[in-house]
Amino acid sequence: MASKVDHAQFRLIIPSQTRYLNLVTGLAKRASLVAGLDDATAAKVSIAVDEAVTNVILHAYHGEGEHSVELEFRFTEQALEIHIWHSGQGIRGDQVVLPDPKEYIKHPRKGGLGLLLMSRFMDEVQFKADEASGRNECCLIKKIS
Amino acid sequence: MADLSIAVRQVGDVAVLLPAGFINAHTVRHFEEALERLVQDGRYTILLNCKDLSYISSAGLGAIMGLIETVREHDGDILLSNLQENVFTIFDTLGFTQLYRVFGDEDQALAAAAPEQKG
Repeated sequence: MASKVDHAQFRLIIPSQTRYLNLVTGLAKRASLVAGLDDATAAKVSIAVDEAVTNVILHAYHGEGEHSVELEFRFTEQALEIHIWHSGQGIRGDQVVLPDPKEYIKHPRKGGLGLLLMSRFMDEVQFKADEASGRNECCLIKKIS
Repeated sequence: MADLSIAVRQVGDVAVLLPAGFINAHTVRHFEEALERLVQDGRYTILLNCKDLSYISSAGLGAIMGLIETVREHDGDILLSNLQENVFTIFDTLGFTQLYRVFGDEDQALAAAAPEQKG
């Protein structure tokens, strides 16, 4: 007998181009609503996904558009998980330094806010590297209260 | 509908910029260019009426941050009005509502900008 799957999921693969960002964020918002999150929280999840995919395109792939970004949306009873895989330059969790908003306001400058938005809008943000496949992953988790 | 369209009109000494759509890494250059044109023209008091802005990512926030010092050095400012809930949440979450003056509607923002124009 086949084992019972404990979560539903679907995947999407996009080219590493910013023109697809709005498609992904729209999907993330709809997926959040399907998961049972409210409108305001769904908007936050979609922004966090925008920031994560933007980081992959601009920083992991240095703006090169011929690569791919793979996303998986997992629906469990406890949370919506969004896994984002790429084979560009990775980042480890211990390398992530979040800017201090108070310092940022005192010394305005461009950049550095994407990770802060991700961490504020999601319950968990994880960065992992899979040495076997050579791929890197960013995992965003929003708990369903 | 285009991803982002931007209308600009002048109300007294205030340049009112109306972005419609969304501002993210794909559209931000268009937004940046519109802001930079205003500054190059010496229009340093800028009101962003965000009534038709559905969302803004950190790329768009960076574009605003990149010009705030310049406009204030010229006795101008960047004001915000008509923020939709999720756009306000982004600004507020990052503490930007302390850095920018935020108004419920355009008339309130223009009224607040007027005294500084005379001063």
